[in-house]
Amino acid sequence: MSATAMLQTGRDCPHAAPTVLELDERRGTFGMALLITAESMLFVVLFAAYYYLGPQTDRWAIEEPPRLHYVIPMLVILVVSSLVIYWGDEKVKKEAFGAGKLALIVTILLGCAFLALSYFDYTEHLRTLLPQSDSYGSIFYTIVSLHVAHLTAGLLMLLWTLFQPRWGPAQFTPHKPYHNAAMYWHFVDTVWVFVVAILYVYPNIVH
Amino acid sequence: MSTAVEQRLTSLWETPKTLRGFLGTVDHKELGRRYIVTAFILLIIGGLEALVIRLQLAGPNGTLLTPEEYNQIFTMHGTTMIYWYAGPILSGFAIFLIPLMSGARDLAFPRLNAFTYWTFLFSAVILYVGPILGEAPHAGWFAYAPYTNAQYSPAHGMDFFNCALLLLTVSTIGAAINFIVSILRHRAPGMTIGRMPLFFYSTLTASFVVLFSLPSLTAANLMIELDRRWGFRFFDVAHGGKALLWQQVFWFFGHPWVYIIFLPATGMVSMMLPVFSRRPIVGYTWVAAATVLTGLTGFGVWAHHMFATGMGQMSMSFFGAASMTISIFTIIQVFAWVATMWRGRPVMTTAMYFVVAFLALLIIGGLDGVVTAVIPVDWQLNDTYWVVSHIHYVVMGANTFPVFAAIYYWGPKMTGRLMNEKLGKWSFWVIILGFNLAFMTMHAVGIEGMPRRIYTYPEGMGWSGMNLAITIGAFILAAGILLTIINFFWSLKHGAPAGKNPWNADSLEWSTDSPPPPYGSVHLPTVTSRHPLWDEHDEEEDPDGSRILDQGRLTFSTTWLDAVPFAVARMPDTTIKPLFAALGVALAFGALAYQLLWVLLGGAVVTIVVTAIWLWPTWQGKDV
Repeated sequence: MSATAMLQTGRDCPHAAPTVLELDERRGTFGMALLITAESMLFVVLFAAYYYLGPQTDRWAIEEPPRLHYVIPMLVILVVSSLVIYWGDEKVKKEAFGAGKLALIVTILLGCAFLALSYFDYTEHLRTLLPQSDSYGSIFYTIVSLHVAHLTAGLLMLLWTLFQPRWGPAQFTPHKPYHNAAMYWHFVDTVWVFVVAILYVYPNIVH
Repeated sequence: MSTAVEQRLTSLWETPKTLRGFLGTVDHKELGRRYIVTAFILLIIGGLEALVIRLQLAGPNGTLLTPEEYNQIFTMHGTTMIYWYAGPILSGFAIFLIPLMSGARDLAFPRLNAFTYWTFLFSAVILYVGPILGEAPHAGWFAYAPYTNAQYSPAHGMDFFNCALLLLTVSTIGAAINFIVSILRHRAPGMTIGRMPLFFYSTLTASFVVLFSLPSLTAANLMIELDRRWGFRFFDVAHGGKALLWQQVFWFFGHPWVYIIFLPATGMVSMMLPVFSRRPIVGYTWVAAATVLTGLTGFGVWAHHMFATGMGQMSMSFFGAASMTISIFTIIQVFAWVATMWRGRPVMTTAMYFVVAFLALLIIGGLDGVVTAVIPVDWQLNDTYWVVSHIHYVVMGANTFPVFAAIYYWGPKMTGRLMNEKLGKWSFWVIILGFNLAFMTMHAVGIEGMPRRIYTYPEGMGWSGMNLAITIGAFILAAGILLTIINFFWSLKHGAPAGKNPWNADSLEWSTDSPPPPYGSVHLPTVTSRHPLWDEHDEEEDPDGSRILDQGRLTFSTTWLDAVPFAVARMPDTTIKPLFAALGVALAFGALAYQLLWVLLGGAVVTIVVTAIWLWPTWQGKDV
């Protein structure tokens, strides 16, 4: 991003400070990366709990593996949306805001499609398995629902970015809203890859 | 140094002395002080609870408390001390000190800082709603399932416990993010990674540990709350759940937490001890490396809390060995501190008294910890008063003693007044006497086989005399702490003015006035060595005034390794939005305790809307 307010700093600074400094807009990105780290650990712990609970349960997933016909399309949707928002982010960096906006809208729509399919997947699952059924149901629905919650949070961030009048250099807030929201979206998508692999695909393979 | 510049900086950075300023301050100095005061008040509350416990146990067949009341009181004591005092008070010092030590004008995210303070405060409020309603949590600070399930703990106490902790994890993770970005991005030009104060190494390590371990507590509390009120089956053995799941997930957080409340305190010691030894610390690199390695290894030891649960031989050996390894890193630090005193000329101030006592208590607490890393001995001593004694030697010795040292050492920087040395030393001797009388005796009563957490004991067990001694010790300890509190308030009025650098210390915070002006230093300092105030270089030398940065609320952003300035960061002004966001989150988590889903949703909506406004950027040309 191009330099905004130019500020003079001293030449006498013993550590070769550049004489003109930009405004720091990437603190928020650093903070977002750390937030994603902490949130990832939440899912790591839950996946560990999934394996820890697994072996001793009567009706563990291997008996009756969850069906894949919704989650695979959902996976495709999220992977595509990640690519789209990545492309948009690159465009916004080059200050092509129109393309950025298009990418943002497409990503939000894909996210909504994911939520819709997710609703069907839930209703189908709830017919045979409840969170109260056994420990498998508990951990399964906890992981899937927490992912949906995070995905909704990501969608809200994208919407919030969409409503901003422009994404040029922000002066007051140390953020690049578009980039940060996109980062969080990639995180949500990555978690889904693991959810599908661990909760859905693997039990079908060993079945 | 022109006063016009100072006035301009003051008007830029000052928090207005209005209600809005009080509720909306983002000043790290104010928030740091509030953190410390709030945590200290919680220390007093937790301490009073301990005194009630000791009154009950002073003699056999105590009748002061019913068994249920006893369970609630010891749970509140442990919970308050471990979560709401020991961690937050160190955060308080970090919030106050990090910007001053690194020559920055505030933390990286001042509004997040306000948000984490308010969430910390509200979580304490939620925790104490339980006892006020007579439904306090009663399952100890590690709250083992399945006892905490609704079947065995139907009262709302455990719900308050879970919801308050969920809120506290939000607060603590926010603070950790703030510390990491501040330390890695806003150090003074020239303060390379090899010149950082050791307090930065310890706080940085602890913050990363928070990031990787606290989510485990979040998960644990979420799972138990779902089990309790929504009929989930995580810990229900009859439906494929596992009670031990709680212990695994909890201790994956729980043991690293020990380092979170220990490491920053060692960092404070590494700041104070060299100053009073009148020489640089011996083995700076070793101490820094040992700090980081303690944090890393801390993730590989959690199961040593579970040796008595019937684990496999292999995993017991692994966790036993890892637990022994970690003592190597601690002992590296201890040797560095001892060598520093040995090679220096110690000045025995009250702060130094507490630091030296910390060393002694850490070694005692460390050694009785090594004893319990031997698995057969652990089986003998587990769940006796030996363990209670161990945790108090380690946590009080390695957290509270450094904190008291820090109150005498940095307190004058915060208040502008030195504390009374004579009264301070009296306080110290009374504390050390009471502490050792209470907790050394506890070792003995543990070996004699007295289990922890029993609400009373019959005559003729051989424990009565020792228990009376422990109770007397506890009251002496409380009296000693009271002396320091009296000293603090007396010194606020009558203490000698502290001046900039009363201890002739080496780190940057001592180059500012006491208390520091809202903007810190007029000229943002530069650094050329590990001991900025002990070297020849003048940190604030800036003939053309290019490091005043008075064009707005500004501070430097520097590279994380070499601390070369590459940008100027704009800091936010006073705002009450973080308070409202915190209120929203607190409402949501408070509602969770009563399963009021609509209130929960309302709280979430408030938080989301306020956060959206809070983070809404303003653009070039709009305002500055």
